[in-house]
Amino acid sequence: MPKRMLRVNMNKLEATFEDYPQDYMALGGRSLTSTIVANEVPPLCHPLGPNNKLVFAPGIVTGTSAPSSGRISVGAKSPLTGGIKEANAGTTFGQRLARLQIAAIIVEGKHEGNDYYLLKITNNGTELINANKWAGKGLYQVHKDLFKEFGAKISVSSCGIAAELLGTASGVCFNDPEGLPSRYAGRGGLGAVMASKGLKFIVVDDAGAPGVEIKNPEVFKQGAKKLTDALMSHDVTKPGGALNTYGTGVLVNIINEAGGLPQRNFSSGQDDRSENISGEKKAEEIKKRGGVRPHFCNPGCVIQCSEVWTKPGGKDPVGVLEYESVWAFGANCSIYNLDDVGELIRACDDLGLDTIEMGNAIAVSMEGGLIKFGDAKGALKLMEEIRKKTPTGRILANGTAFTGKAMGVTRVPVVKNQALPAYDPRAIKGIGVTYATTPMGADHTAGYAIATEIMGVGGTADPKDTKKAELSRNLQLATAVIDAAGYCLFTAFAVLDIPEGLVGMVESVNGVLGINLTVNDIAGVGKSIIDTELKFNKAAGFTSADDRLPEFFLKEPLPPHNEVFDVPDDELDSVF
Amino acid sequence: MTKKMTILVKLFGDLAKKISKQKSPKSPTNAEISIEGIERVSDVLKKFLIEESETSHIFVNGVYSGFTKKVSDGDRVGIFAGNQALLYKWYFTRVED
Repeated sequence: MPKRMLRVNMNKLEATFEDYPQDYMALGGRSLTSTIVANEVPPLCHPLGPNNKLVFAPGIVTGTSAPSSGRISVGAKSPLTGGIKEANAGTTFGQRLARLQIAAIIVEGKHEGNDYYLLKITNNGTELINANKWAGKGLYQVHKDLFKEFGAKISVSSCGIAAELLGTASGVCFNDPEGLPSRYAGRGGLGAVMASKGLKFIVVDDAGAPGVEIKNPEVFKQGAKKLTDALMSHDVTKPGGALNTYGTGVLVNIINEAGGLPQRNFSSGQDDRSENISGEKKAEEIKKRGGVRPHFCNPGCVIQCSEVWTKPGGKDPVGVLEYESVWAFGANCSIYNLDDVGELIRACDDLGLDTIEMGNAIAVSMEGGLIKFGDAKGALKLMEEIRKKTPTGRILANGTAFTGKAMGVTRVPVVKNQALPAYDPRAIKGIGVTYATTPMGADHTAGYAIATEIMGVGGTADPKDTKKAELSRNLQLATAVIDAAGYCLFTAFAVLDIPEGLVGMVESVNGVLGINLTVNDIAGVGKSIIDTELKFNKAAGFTSADDRLPEFFLKEPLPPHNEVFDVPDDELDSVF
Repeated sequence: MTKKMTILVKLFGDLAKKISKQKSPKSPTNAEISIEGIERVSDVLKKFLIEESETSHIFVNGVYSGFTKKVSDGDRVGIFAGNQALLYKWYFTRVED
């Protein structure tokens, strides 16, 4: 069976397989979602109207035995930023899709009525099923119901109650290995795009699937081994290493010590109470109360940074508490208790919300006086406003910038309307350059300068130096390639430090596609992806004025270093 | 009365266990120690019986630092355990004195 695309027309409620275009043969993941969006979506269309399209694409090596490669990209015009968006997640969903030889699902049109649908995909075909009985419900219960109805060996993609409100803070959810709704392509409001079309769920069953075609198995095997060796030996990614032992939360204490962990809506970069929500504290608690650590988000991951966080006594599993999520509801809201933070993350996962966007929205609402900083119970009540679909809930579900306007707050940490993640750009300036210039809106994953500025991976850089255009550009190009390949971004730690690992990564892609890329081609491939995205954004009305941080980062010094973001505009404009 | 000259030492991960051996810790990771006999980060390590190989990241007042970085009264020294490493040694550029 040759690779194919599945086009889902929500007006006609038809799903049709199409031949995979020759022009797309070397694409996957982000390179495929961004190319399809650029080719098929009018840049000036309303993101929640019939002309936007939602694209799901597993990475090039996703579904193979390549290590840590279970990623799926989701793309569309973002209702949050107004520009092109790619968000990705680690989940079995992408692996199953790839094994069915489905390179992309393109969801287009808009169902005319008020019904919601579930798209079921198996090796025998597709079916659109009325899903109204699962609408308006929390995703923890719905995921349980879906696994019960469609069997244990499926994967699920879903959007939640926030998406039903067309809230631009809503994400596209995927199941973790336990079936929990805790893996998200969270950023940019893609859940709202899904719900706007009348699509609530996709269920994939890959029983009998042919598997991923590997054009040159020897080259693939050799590459996968080199990459595995690099991941198993690098201090960040090896078993017993930082990510495996503590999860991404290991960063809480490190970034706090560096003075760059935003506290209380970006008003300070350090607070010792952050230790109470650190990766060390979380790992210790999981050991005491139950849950799982380490844990993988998809089979075949050798890094295993994930976990299953529970209530005390090992009850009511939430899923993973990622660093950015813990920071967003923790330090940024002055809530320094892991159980409180865990319940706020549970609320996000249940309602189908991006934790970074929502944590920032809650912090901004605290600054606006809706509740006090540190009021965890109040924050949970605000999340319930979204479940009840009240006016306050509708405001919050539209994210940080929208909430800031509604509350009359001027200190609103967004770029291109998307909320900033867990690294203050005044203390760590390279990440600020990435926040400002990535076509995605403020996104740490687009070019993870933290690795170089704080952790010394892939070279070194002084976090306070303002000459960061080249660093950010190179990281953004490399990231685009990793997102296209389908590898977890954390593989970058190893491949940026271990040359043989990078060669292995390229060889694994060559093996699958039957091509002959070299390491020297990476920058060019990355540039072509980002050029496609920048061209879309330009046509959607973006200018260099959109590549800037909010004014307060330039004016308000951040304790303890008392730095402002002073990267000159021409340095920002020289990134692309 | 002269104010006691001290530095705040924060030991993270497995290194936090070393603090229990010190008197009157304020928190599981914090120890306030006298500056007497402490000139550099390496002296702090000796004070807590920590080998250099047991460490990964070291911050002095939020600045990424090495073993010979000087410390003085009122400084904050954060030391992370070896299995909290997020870098490869040959890329280290630590501030030293």
